[in-house]
Amino acid sequence: MKNKLIYLTKNSLNRKIKTKWFLIANIALLIVIAGIINIDKIISMFGGDFDENKIVYVIDNTNYTYDILNENMKSISSTMDSSELSNFELRKESKTKQQLKDNLKNNELIVVIDESVENTLDVTLVSQGYIDTIDYQILNQALNNTKTTIAIKKSNIDVNLLNNIYKGIKIKREYIDEDKKSEDENMEMIMTTVFPFIILPFFMLSIFLIQIIGSEVNDEKTTRGMEIIISNVSPKIHFFSKILAGNIFIIMQGILLLLYSGIGFLIRKLFVSPESSSFESQIMSIINNVSGTEFMSKLIYIIPITLVLMLLTLIAYSLVAGVLASMTTNAEDFNQLQSPIVIISLVGYYLSVMAGMFKGALFIRILSYVPFISAILSPSLLVLGQIVIFDTLISIIIILITIFLLIKYGLRIYKVGILNYSSKDLWKKMFKALKN
Amino acid sequence: MLKLENITKYYGDFKAVDNLSFSVLPGEIFGLLGVNGAGKTTTFRMIMGLLEPSSGNITLDDKKIDYSVTDNIGFLTEERSLLTKLTVKEQALFYGNLKSMKEKQILDRLDYLLNKFSISEYKDKKIKELSKGNQQKVQFIMAILNEPKLLILDEPFSGLDPFNIELFKKEIIEMSKKGSMIIFSSHRMEHVELFCKKLAIILNGKTVIKGYLKDIKEQYRKKNIIIKGDIKKKDLIDIDGVLEVIEKADELEVKIESKDVVDKVFSKVKNFGNITKFVVEEPSLNEIFISKVGMEYEK
Repeated sequence: MKNKLIYLTKNSLNRKIKTKWFLIANIALLIVIAGIINIDKIISMFGGDFDENKIVYVIDNTNYTYDILNENMKSISSTMDSSELSNFELRKESKTKQQLKDNLKNNELIVVIDESVENTLDVTLVSQGYIDTIDYQILNQALNNTKTTIAIKKSNIDVNLLNNIYKGIKIKREYIDEDKKSEDENMEMIMTTVFPFIILPFFMLSIFLIQIIGSEVNDEKTTRGMEIIISNVSPKIHFFSKILAGNIFIIMQGILLLLYSGIGFLIRKLFVSPESSSFESQIMSIINNVSGTEFMSKLIYIIPITLVLMLLTLIAYSLVAGVLASMTTNAEDFNQLQSPIVIISLVGYYLSVMAGMFKGALFIRILSYVPFISAILSPSLLVLGQIVIFDTLISIIIILITIFLLIKYGLRIYKVGILNYSSKDLWKKMFKALKN
Repeated sequence: MLKLENITKYYGDFKAVDNLSFSVLPGEIFGLLGVNGAGKTTTFRMIMGLLEPSSGNITLDDKKIDYSVTDNIGFLTEERSLLTKLTVKEQALFYGNLKSMKEKQILDRLDYLLNKFSISEYKDKKIKELSKGNQQKVQFIMAILNEPKLLILDEPFSGLDPFNIELFKKEIIEMSKKGSMIIFSSHRMEHVELFCKKLAIILNGKTVIKGYLKDIKEQYRKKNIIIKGDIKKKDLIDIDGVLEVIEKADELEVKIESKDVVDKVFSKVKNFGNITKFVVEEPSLNEIFISKVGMEYEK
């Protein structure tokens, strides 16, 4: 029987892997993932308006504003990370507004600066049509900064004082809880944004797992091949072979996704953008921020615990998928039945995204123990410092109990379900199977 | 020996099989007959362990049938039970492995059987691409791939033309000669009469006829006489013991109560001229079945 379990598992895996569709799907995944990683470069490659320099003609009627405005534009370029900024080209113009207006192109703007007693500066912005929101914001910020600089200068404020005014405020953090540190607080802020993206592949893989196990069981059932299979191996062996094969396949697919991401970054590094771009700088900045902090030492146990919880949840998902597929008599029924599981998983994902907004929410914390939701929500809350490791361990224990119950009672349903071809009195039959 | 003792199966309150007993010896071909819904498939599913009997025992060589002996059993289900996305070869490897066969053994046996059933060219074709008849051949090949000690065939001839029925029949007889126990079900009597020496007819789960075909026919007292000549229905109908006279083209079929009535009919017929045929026939199994079923229905 052990040999048959190994054989069925191998066979099930081969049926998924040794197909042209697996190859095609993975080639497509590689292309899509590598493409997403290099999407900015791909978009730039095809050209478009964003490539054109935005020329800003400045008619400076004050004769002292242009240089300050130019400095402020450069300053914004250095502090903000946007390729749009580097395309701005400021040109001081001696022509009149009317002269410039006559030949103004789509990528050209006219900024007329006049002195104002009431407002320090009055500005008129001329363009062919509507201008991009980001462009408007950049110009607006640069002009505001310019106005402030001129106003301060006019007030005869000392240079040192002026520097102090411009210097960002320093916040000294103090925590009543002695275990809390400001580096960790910063990390939590970063993780609130980053973690949902890290966890997204798990969500996708769990959905994929439900589908592959369900469709395989359903296929064997609807073709009645199940009768011959179950004549030769016990439903238990058959069930476990599907669970094993499904999970091994998903783990393999997960590793392949990581590999494709690696290839994507390698392409970016070697061919697309050999010099460090802002994207890599951001990643490096996150890594640098993490390393050496208390958070890094936390990650040493958060990662394995998260992986264990995710693996157990995948097993639980596959058990549910197998049991549900055994009850259905066609693929359409299974698709309908799997929707609630997908929604539960989706709830976990959305809650993990919202966890940062509702810090300390009891509702979210309680849901982090709920099987299927916990795999996504519990690690998110742990990273955000909203729960402690003990809470995640409780989630692991609960999912283990769920797996035990799914095997004990789900197998009873599976044994009856796989040989049931009628949807008449289905739930009655399943409840009866549970009692036996 | 396969032995079923007082097998009863309930689905809720519905009794699908009622106290069924029979045995099949090595080399025997046993026919299980019954109309659709009589309980044949349920019986097979119980033998295969797919269903638990509500009561009674099923043993193979005095041992309860479990997964330790299923490697020696071949099973052809009534409906197609093939994984249609696989090729014939992949299907054989799959089922063969489930029967604990070695890969070489599977492929050698598959080549032999494909050749025998004249479908060698389909070895690497997907099953869903084959015709219904060829799918049935593949299904039969899968059932006998492991040269089973016990072969269960649930309606094996469905979808087959007479030529292929003959092919199947030959193979089944060959397997029985090698010592396999074969049970086969059908609702078509002529298929069973072809090669079953032993049979049981079930109706609503109950056994209505059981035993050796020869004995069953002998026990069934009614006979038929076929007469051809210048004689009319009215000349025979009043004879004591004649149940019915049916006019068939240029012949008369006279149904009689028992063998003893033959002499009375013959005495009458010989008085008429130009009699070219007078044959006493055993009733067909179909007749016996209809008669029994009719009796049951009338109850």
